[in-house]
Amino acid sequence: MKNLNSVFAAYMVGWTVFFVYYISVSRRTAALREEIERLKNSLTRGK
Amino acid sequence: MKKSVLSAMVVLLLLGVAAYAAFFVAPTDAKQGVIYRILFLHVASAWTGLTSFFICFIANLLYVLRRQPRWDWLGVSAGETGLVFTTVVLLTGPIWAHPVWGIWWTWDARLTSTFVLWLLYVSYLLLRTLVEEPDRRALLSALFGIFAFIDVPLVFGSIRWWRTQHPQPIIMGAPGSGLDPTMYKVLFFTWLAMLGLMTLLLRQRYRLEAMRGDLEIIQRELEAA
Amino acid sequence: MALHSNTAVLLGKELRTEFRSRELLTTTTVFVLIVIVLFSFSFDPTSEESRRFGAGLLWLAFLFAASLMLQPCFLREQSNDTLSALRLSVSDPFAIFLAKLVANTLFLLLTELLLLPVFAVMYNVSVLPMLHWLVLVFFLGSLGVSITGTALSAISAQARMRELLLPLLLLPLLTPILVASTEVTAALFDRSPYVQWKGVGFLAVFDLAFLTILWLLGEYLLEE
Repeated sequence: MKNLNSVFAAYMVGWTVFFVYYISVSRRTAALREEIERLKNSLTRGK
Repeated sequence: MKKSVLSAMVVLLLLGVAAYAAFFVAPTDAKQGVIYRILFLHVASAWTGLTSFFICFIANLLYVLRRQPRWDWLGVSAGETGLVFTTVVLLTGPIWAHPVWGIWWTWDARLTSTFVLWLLYVSYLLLRTLVEEPDRRALLSALFGIFAFIDVPLVFGSIRWWRTQHPQPIIMGAPGSGLDPTMYKVLFFTWLAMLGLMTLLLRQRYRLEAMRGDLEIIQRELEAA
Repeated sequence: MALHSNTAVLLGKELRTEFRSRELLTTTTVFVLIVIVLFSFSFDPTSEESRRFGAGLLWLAFLFAASLMLQPCFLREQSNDTLSALRLSVSDPFAIFLAKLVANTLFLLLTELLLLPVFAVMYNVSVLPMLHWLVLVFFLGSLGVSITGTALSAISAQARMRELLLPLLLLPLLTPILVASTEVTAALFDRSPYVQWKGVGFLAVFDLAFLTILWLLGEYLLEE
């Protein structure tokens, strides 16, 4: 049954990859949102 | 916001059910025992990756013909998402191979072809980082994306024809080795769940790219001011 | 027909430019030679194995050389903006590509044929009886490399890090050429040589497929 460990490992690896990617895109989105807010403010301030 | 949370929950549920089915519903394989269950994750990821790359190809074509930014956004999103799924294929292959054959990597036809596929789309994304002007970047990467996708059947075909003469371990059984009907159902269900995950990741990535498009517009306004 | 005459004129220009200085040909030939020699240090080239590995090494050397040789293809059109002049001078932009890829195929083929006797001697492989078939597979393989390489050169010329980018884009794309050409060539180097028609057919299909795509997408590759 030691092979069962490998099966678990495979599923863990798979889900980790998906999860890490999801988090990475979320982070980039949040950072971009901040940047846009900042720029929008400087635009309105400029006007 | 609520709708996206709901769809994320649905996808997670589907994936959970698929995993449960992979472990408990599918019967044990006579020859390989428990280890074959990696197949559901491995093969479904491969199919999903290819689906994503196909979406990328269509988006590339549409960008070249129509030049609307949204096709560029879809293209890069589908390319990246496809790469994520292909990475899972390449990682789960060795995890399957090691207990069965005692080696981490085998130049099995499908794994080798998948590796080349992975390299092609890494190049696609790399090209995008090396072109600064957005319209130029969109056009050049769309054109390369079209070349890359046309190459895919040629890569798989040539490697299958000429790299499987030599006796070597074949991941997940040789082409032609049949699957139990229940196994097929579990595999298909896993694939559907993965397609749900793909759609989720695609939409999320697309939103990011669309936002970047907005940012560029604002930056241009600032420069003009 | 306009395409024929345009291509002929441009091809003449490409060939004249190269044969005036011969820099591409000489550097490419020397590069392939260096790669062949270096490969010989990584294993025993006189053993029976070299017969089997030889074909693969030869094509690997050709591919590396081509990915370097194809860089100036569109890069040199950027100085003095000769690309705009070219575009204005032809009615069909495909003529520009056709001329360049024919020239590139010729240069590659010349290099390969120059180095074949060197390779045959160093790796102890008999090439004379199957020479005409070798020329055929060299031609089909080089054509495929040229078609894709010329197209991708137009792309990489517009990006940063173009020297590294072209090999990065080109080499994974050329995997089918490497596999098929190696198989056909290895069969021709065999003790009882034969022609692997499946491989020859595959190379022809590859060439036709990418030539068609280049024909369809060419004008977009040349956009300002």
